[in-house]
Amino acid sequence: MTTTTRGRKGHASADDPRVMLDEQIGVFEPIPPYPPRTEREAEFYTLRDGEMFINIGPQHPSTHGVLRIVLKIDGENVVDLDPVLGYLHRGVEKLCENADYHQAICYLDPLEYVSSLFCEWPGVMAFEKLLDVEVPRRAEYIRVLSSELNRVASHALFMGWMALDLGGLTPILWSFIERDEIVEMLASLTGQRMLFNYFRIGGVNGDLNHEFMSRLGEWMSRATTQIEANIGLLNENEIFVRRMRGLGTMDSETALRMCMSGPNLRATGVPFDLRRAHPYSVFPELEFDIPTRTEGDCLARYLVRLEEVKQSLKIIDQCLNNMPDGPIMAKLPRLLRPRPGRAYAGIEGPRGQYAAYVVSDGTDQPFRMRIHDPSYLHLQSVGLLMPGHLIADAMAVMASLDPIMGGVDK
Amino acid sequence: MDPALRRRLERRFGERLTGPIRQRHDETELRIGAGDSGEVIRALHDEPEFGFTFLADLAGVDTGTTMQVVYHFWGASTPDWLRLVVDGLPRDDPRVPSVTALWKGAEWMEREAYDMFGITFEGNRDLRRIYMPPDYQSFPLRKDFFLADDAARSPGAGVRHMEQTHAPRNATPAATIRRTRA
Repeated sequence: MTTTTRGRKGHASADDPRVMLDEQIGVFEPIPPYPPRTEREAEFYTLRDGEMFINIGPQHPSTHGVLRIVLKIDGENVVDLDPVLGYLHRGVEKLCENADYHQAICYLDPLEYVSSLFCEWPGVMAFEKLLDVEVPRRAEYIRVLSSELNRVASHALFMGWMALDLGGLTPILWSFIERDEIVEMLASLTGQRMLFNYFRIGGVNGDLNHEFMSRLGEWMSRATTQIEANIGLLNENEIFVRRMRGLGTMDSETALRMCMSGPNLRATGVPFDLRRAHPYSVFPELEFDIPTRTEGDCLARYLVRLEEVKQSLKIIDQCLNNMPDGPIMAKLPRLLRPRPGRAYAGIEGPRGQYAAYVVSDGTDQPFRMRIHDPSYLHLQSVGLLMPGHLIADAMAVMASLDPIMGGVDK
Repeated sequence: MDPALRRRLERRFGERLTGPIRQRHDETELRIGAGDSGEVIRALHDEPEFGFTFLADLAGVDTGTTMQVVYHFWGASTPDWLRLVVDGLPRDDPRVPSVTALWKGAEWMEREAYDMFGITFEGNRDLRRIYMPPDYQSFPLRKDFFLADDAARSPGAGVRHMEQTHAPRNATPAATIRRTRA
């Protein structure tokens, strides 16, 4: 199919050299049409000699959701960047104020849609703290089991789109095969493939069933070799490793000052994992290591997540072996009215510290539901890490920080 | 619940606290006024007996009568989360000193609190809206901003919805703002 410079039906095409772009099509200027309101805006939106702006997004396959980045480039090198958020802002915190405590859990799922159980968990934990509810042990073990499966699924997807942002088109399909198996398993447990809506205040929605256990057992028996095969596709690939090594290096001081958490922080050398630093649920009884690396570059962040997948498999194994009997939900009244107070609950999600802060005023609706998302803070670091690299490497740096725009924009 | 932490905090900050230190489950809560917030946070960050170097969360809260900024910290010296509530900010022009000098990562958290509540963080180099469009006039998470489907509480103020079918007849914003003392 050939395209002519004339385009179709008399519309001038932008490829036509006879078209004067400014007059006929319009000026595409990422510079905002008002004077700069802050110091940083003034600093960013003034161009020096040889620099220009390029607008990435909000619709772009590499940005993990609807994110708009205004890049200031000098040739091919990125000089500075300004992320513009809000394209996926759904007002979840405001909506939760109008909802019941039970209904608010449904609003929490789509925040980090790739790892939904981790989004529900801190909300549910905060509500349980307000209501002084004790979760039965079996429910805690099921929570850990299902969420560690979700962590494996999330990291599998990370590996896929890490390679996708570097230009490799195969690993993302392998990742989705991996993820599909896990997501089907979780569907037989929770009823949903993605936005699980499984955790309840005081426990979980349904007990383990035969289908889930048989799928899980069958998957566990080949999980290790399968993951090794997927890893081998990428780790031994010279292009992948050489592109990622030394890219986007962050040291531990800067990472702590940028309030990073999770694998991004552990890749810089700080062994901070909320499951060990501030233990919750049944993690004190489980044995696992905290993978840490010191280089702080993209390759380190990727390798830390790989190691975490292996640790998750270890945790799942222990959960299956030590699963206690008992109820899966605490006995609670239908209408929940916690006494006035505040509660904060933070967990270790696949991206970092995922937390909820709830203020209760004694009614059956939360007064303030604050959700703290790690991807939001990691996106700030993109401004520190990208400058100095080429545009193509800039997208790799962004992918290695693993942001999910649903959580960033809430 | 860490009673040793509470004693250390009372000894160090006793005169600045605007209320008793409350502890519940694994959290310790301090309440101070806006004028003290810069010094207290710096003390919590720098002094070795506290060592709260990890800023876990920065949030704004609108209690209906006042605005608050709530910080959550994690430190290796205690098993508790530390919650610092900077209370008593006026609802028309809430201003707090910024913590971006200590944690650059707080910049975006403060931007979000500004965008959603209108709280000005003095010292933040980049205090502009982050979720809403740059020319948006209201502050959405305030209690006097009503959603269209806020049937029991909306007289139609805030977002105007075409139907306006659920507006109670005698409601005024002052009567319908939700307040709490929690």
